[in-house]
Amino acid sequence: MTCQKNHKQVASVNPMYYVIDNIKSLGGDNVPEIRFDGVSKSYGEIEVLPAFDMKLNDGEFTVLVGPSGCGKSTTLRMLAGLEDLSSGQILFDEKKISHLEPKDRDIAMVFQDYALYPHMNIAQNMSFALKLQKVPKPEIKKKVENVAEILGIHNLLTRKPGELSGGQRQRVAMGRAMVRDSSTFLFDEPLSNLDAKLRAKMRTELAEMRNTLNKNMVYVTHDQVEAMTLGDRIVVMANGLIQQQGSPEELFKSPANKFVAGFIGSPSMNFLDAFIVEESGDLIAKGEGFSLKLNPDMASIINTLSSKDVTLGIRPSCFELSQGNGDGVDEIKLTTVVSEYLGAQSVLVTRCCKQDVLVEVQSASPIPGGQEMTFSVKPEDIMMFDKKSGVRL
Amino acid sequence: MSTTYKRQNPAFYALIAALIMMSLGPIILMLSTSLQLNVDIMSDSSSFFFMPTMKNYETVLCNVLWYTPEHVDYCNPSFARSLGNSLIVALVSTVITLIVGCMAAYALVRFRFMGRGTISMSTLMMRMVPPAVLLVPVFGIWTFQYGLDGTFTGIVLVYVAMNLPFVIWILQSFIIQVPIQLEEAAKMDGASPLQVFFLVVLPVIKPGLAAAAIFTFRIAWNEFLLANALLDRNTRTVPVTIVNSLTEHDIDWGVIMATGMLLAVPPIIFTFLASKQIITGMTAGAVKG
Repeated sequence: MTCQKNHKQVASVNPMYYVIDNIKSLGGDNVPEIRFDGVSKSYGEIEVLPAFDMKLNDGEFTVLVGPSGCGKSTTLRMLAGLEDLSSGQILFDEKKISHLEPKDRDIAMVFQDYALYPHMNIAQNMSFALKLQKVPKPEIKKKVENVAEILGIHNLLTRKPGELSGGQRQRVAMGRAMVRDSSTFLFDEPLSNLDAKLRAKMRTELAEMRNTLNKNMVYVTHDQVEAMTLGDRIVVMANGLIQQQGSPEELFKSPANKFVAGFIGSPSMNFLDAFIVEESGDLIAKGEGFSLKLNPDMASIINTLSSKDVTLGIRPSCFELSQGNGDGVDEIKLTTVVSEYLGAQSVLVTRCCKQDVLVEVQSASPIPGGQEMTFSVKPEDIMMFDKKSGVRL
Repeated sequence: MSTTYKRQNPAFYALIAALIMMSLGPIILMLSTSLQLNVDIMSDSSSFFFMPTMKNYETVLCNVLWYTPEHVDYCNPSFARSLGNSLIVALVSTVITLIVGCMAAYALVRFRFMGRGTISMSTLMMRMVPPAVLLVPVFGIWTFQYGLDGTFTGIVLVYVAMNLPFVIWILQSFIIQVPIQLEEAAKMDGASPLQVFFLVVLPVIKPGLAAAAIFTFRIAWNEFLLANALLDRNTRTVPVTIVNSLTEHDIDWGVIMATGMLLAVPPIIFTFLASKQIITGMTAGAVKG
């Protein structure tokens, strides 16, 4: 109840809500569920995306995330109709759309490089799609002014894109998509050209939009922070394959494999090679320079392993400063190489068994580098991955 | 800046002066001659001291003036007519060349089809064929097969064919610079392929179109060889008319020079108008640069 009240208070302050309500009232409820059915993509002999299935629920904010060249943009462009499919089908509800031209798909898209028409002013840029749809002029004007108002670009409407800063251009690009009352919005790394501060601001605005707007949104990014903060559902891709999909929490807490574990979360997870032994009833992972106790629940899994060589995954935030001397079975001794002081916390780059281990420590004052420290790790905070395949055990 | 001062060599200025004389000299001579009567032109005294007169211009434009100049006994309409002919031929051929050229260039840049590279290359090869080589076959075909000799259609077709390769080549380089995202954005906004071309690509390559227009217009305007062979007395363009007025009986230098001055005016106006479209940074702000 209090939450509701708060929400309304925000609405009275933030003009974004008014306009989004406006847009909402304009749009119907015909937001389709999007399904990729055995879709693949090849360029000649080279297969960039092996056949895959994917379902995006209606009204969901889906983030496709992965390193460069993982096929996420290609997936988005196939959905947009800018790339042909090599096989398979894309369906909106039960309607096949993969043979349709982009204009017949009811999709709006925001491009990474803005792609504003340089010869038109901002108002013309934003109204281009509506003009092509032959929407009456007064209505176009109303819609454009509405959207310009929420995006804070109403004073720029008569300017040309060349006279705008990067952030303003990005807003115009978003506005151009928003004036169209499409059921599906596609974002192709829309924030990657903005500076850090502006990016954070736009991210918040997008998150607001997601909360209030009942539209399909598909968002491509290589930035896991954007993925975590924006997505209802995240699809992690690598090398053309979907590694895992799920809510941000699912991906963070139970990653399917080493790649997802390393990709989601910042600073990223540490991976240490270890060998599992059983000592006086306890499962101990022994590595070069450390031995850590594992969760007893893992015994059943470990018993099925052919090799006792595994990779341990420990998040930087799971290390806790300990008073011990590092000999205990839940302790690890690390030598700080670099200390990155971030204000409320520090990220220590430490070295253990010839590899870097990141440790996040809450501390108000900088921690000097170069010293040896002991940290403890709780057994339940340790994840285990198959050393060869990287699959989580 | 220091390098600029080092160049203060008298020979350097002499060279510049010579170059200016070489380029401006003929124009000044033409202008001054066009303002002189034949007696002044033929006299042995200095050609820089004379009584300027507009009579030569009146003679040239006698049939389009609203009054009849007193000194003109017989009004020869061919000069004024040829100016009109030149305008028609140059403008029509420019417009057709640009329309066909921009579409062809777009297709060559954006579409993948068989023989694309070869066609792209051969457009330039066409430029290497001198017009004189084309003259005889074109004259033969136009006259005996299609009966296009002496018509505007005939000469316009030849000029379009002559200029098209170069225009395609120029425009190709402009179209390549149009970010593909712009076209994709237009597609997403619901534009058909033709709308993408006319509403997005063409406005962006306006500087290229202007450059190509200037080039085409000037070639069509100045061309003599083919015009001389293909046009008759009613459709003649100015360069042909001027040359034809150099007879062994009488050369009216004043009138010829006045025609020459008038000949220079339309391209100057055209170039001035077109060059206003040539502004750099046409794609500024389109995509992250």
